[in-house]
Amino acid sequence: MKNGSFFIPATAPHRGATEKKDVGMKLRFWQKAYLLTLALFLICINVGILSLTVYTHGKNVRAAEEAVKAQQYYVAMSFERDMEYLESNGGSVALLMEGFGAHYRDKGLSIAFLQGEETLYSTISFPYEMENDTLTHLDVEGKRHILISSSVCDGAYQIIIAKNVDSLDVEFRSLMVLYLLTALAVSLFLAVCLYFVLRKLSKPLDSLRETTVAIGAGDFSVTAKEMGNDEFTLLAKSFNAMLAKINSQMADLASDAEKKQMLVDNMAHELRTPLTSIYGYAEYLEKAPVTEEKRVTAAQYIMSQAGRLQKISELLLDSAYIRGNPPEMGEVALHTLLSQVAAQLAFFGEGRGVTLRAEGEQTVIHGNETLLSMLFFNLAENAVKACSQGGEVVLSCKDGRATVRDNGKGMTEEQIAHVTEPFYRTDKSRSRAEGGAGLGLALCKQIVDLHGAEMKISSKPGEGTEISLTFTTWQQPGDGLATNG
Amino acid sequence: MAKILIAEDEPAINDLIKWNLELVGHTCHQVFDGRAALEAAGTGAFDLLILDVMMPALSGFEIMPHLKGQPVIFVTAKAGVQDRLRGLQLGADDYITKPFEILELVERVKAVLRRTKGEMKEFSFDDIRVELTNRRVYKGGVEIPLKPKEFDLLETLIHNRNLALSREKLIELVWNFDYEGDSRTVDVHVQRLRRKLGIAHRLQTVYKTGYRLQV
Repeated sequence: MKNGSFFIPATAPHRGATEKKDVGMKLRFWQKAYLLTLALFLICINVGILSLTVYTHGKNVRAAEEAVKAQQYYVAMSFERDMEYLESNGGSVALLMEGFGAHYRDKGLSIAFLQGEETLYSTISFPYEMENDTLTHLDVEGKRHILISSSVCDGAYQIIIAKNVDSLDVEFRSLMVLYLLTALAVSLFLAVCLYFVLRKLSKPLDSLRETTVAIGAGDFSVTAKEMGNDEFTLLAKSFNAMLAKINSQMADLASDAEKKQMLVDNMAHELRTPLTSIYGYAEYLEKAPVTEEKRVTAAQYIMSQAGRLQKISELLLDSAYIRGNPPEMGEVALHTLLSQVAAQLAFFGEGRGVTLRAEGEQTVIHGNETLLSMLFFNLAENAVKACSQGGEVVLSCKDGRATVRDNGKGMTEEQIAHVTEPFYRTDKSRSRAEGGAGLGLALCKQIVDLHGAEMKISSKPGEGTEISLTFTTWQQPGDGLATNG
Repeated sequence: MAKILIAEDEPAINDLIKWNLELVGHTCHQVFDGRAALEAAGTGAFDLLILDVMMPALSGFEIMPHLKGQPVIFVTAKAGVQDRLRGLQLGADDYITKPFEILELVERVKAVLRRTKGEMKEFSFDDIRVELTNRRVYKGGVEIPLKPKEFDLLETLIHNRNLALSREKLIELVWNFDYEGDSRTVDVHVQRLRRKLGIAHRLQTVYKTGYRLQV
């Protein structure tokens, strides 16, 4: 119970503190700037005006004191002179004092004459208490008076004069009121102006914030407004640059995903077609009454489609193999290799009325012979397929460059761009009349990359295609093995 | 039965569809690319078009708008919902994804034809005439009384004629999926049909598979 009573009040102030903090967080930047600027301005202007007024007033009071002192001095001098005259010529001191009082009452001064503690004559209508030879301010019914006392005639008499300087204070008060009214008006004007100025200045920040909110909600098509030349604009600019980068990367990702999706789609198509045939004909054999002719046809379809599946799997494996194992590299004589490929395909070409020819100069490159022959075989085979009756495929090489050229049907720009993607076929309908599964060129690209070579495809629909390969590893005549051997 | 146009660029699959549809009595015409398909469809001679989606020259989807409401079944290798939806939105009656089973193909074709062309009213073979609409069977002009399930079985066999149906499949088609009787029920009914109609040579037992009405 002792602990309980300790803990309960301890939590209460904490909650209060966090609430206060929350309120503070809710203020926007421009609101904070507004409030702080306004507060600072109000403090400065009021302190400035107040101190100025007080200083002026003090100066006026001092000036009034000097004036009273001067008058007092003059009164004292006159009195001493008149006393001297009375001493030599005789006369009433009381009358003299009365004359002084009357004379100076008209000029707004009150005078008292004292001898020791005793007041001889006085026109001062209020009580006072003063030391000798001092100056004092006295508040009489809210009105300021300046009183000065001094001794005259070698200390025989004291003269006190008093002057009403209430006009000073009245002036001060009215000045204060005027100043405060001015300050209030200026402050109001400032408050309004500052509000609009800060609102306008913080507008870009607000619009930037709205943009980020939109992006946060998933809309990447928005851009931040860029107006003017200030930091907000710079921020908006760099923000837009960032957004553009993000957008382009997202587009890249999307196109990447699209490519992958296409690969998967094509793969599904490649696999489903033979699968459908194999399953379908087997089912047909199982369920339908079959003639001998149909039995044989069905079996042939099953076999040929199984062959197709095998070819796809081989190509995929080849492609995976090349990716997984760096092949052994050696010297490869390109022209010899091209001649071999042309010879291997001669029969295939003959069947289609296409002639194959190897030309150019012998050039030796660094590479894997098996893969390179696979590469050129693939390229030449594609070239033959692209040709119609009477077409020609030329394999040539010179100085580390090899080209495979045909005068077949050619390709469009778009087809060229996609042609090295796995399973892509220039004919969208994917007719298999020309055979192959569409992995050929993708495989070729891998082999080319492996050799650090560059593959360039140039083609015009209806005129033919030229694929040129530039090997960076070729040996100039006169160096390397070519001379030694 | 119906006249059907098959447009499919793969000869293997084109033949497969043709063979199967011919089994159940349809007449088929084969084309191997989109343009030929469009030309053939233009004659208006077909009750149903079976179109491959990916064909040379014109795709199945591209042909679709020119078909003036002829019944269409798409054949697609893509299992994606988008492709199927696109086909159906274009006005196709149905679609089949590769790989498909024979019975599925026959069933889809039958369903589409029933919607567009109406039920097959009667079917005859040898001296047997089956009136499918009013469920009567005549042999040599004489009505043979059949129990309801016996008639259902006969009807199923007629719709899938020349195709072997397993006992399980027959139970599914004739007795419903959740029938809990054993497959001997099928044997019993087949025996009765053979005896009542004298069609033992037509209603064949297929080794390790099931039964087939061969006509």
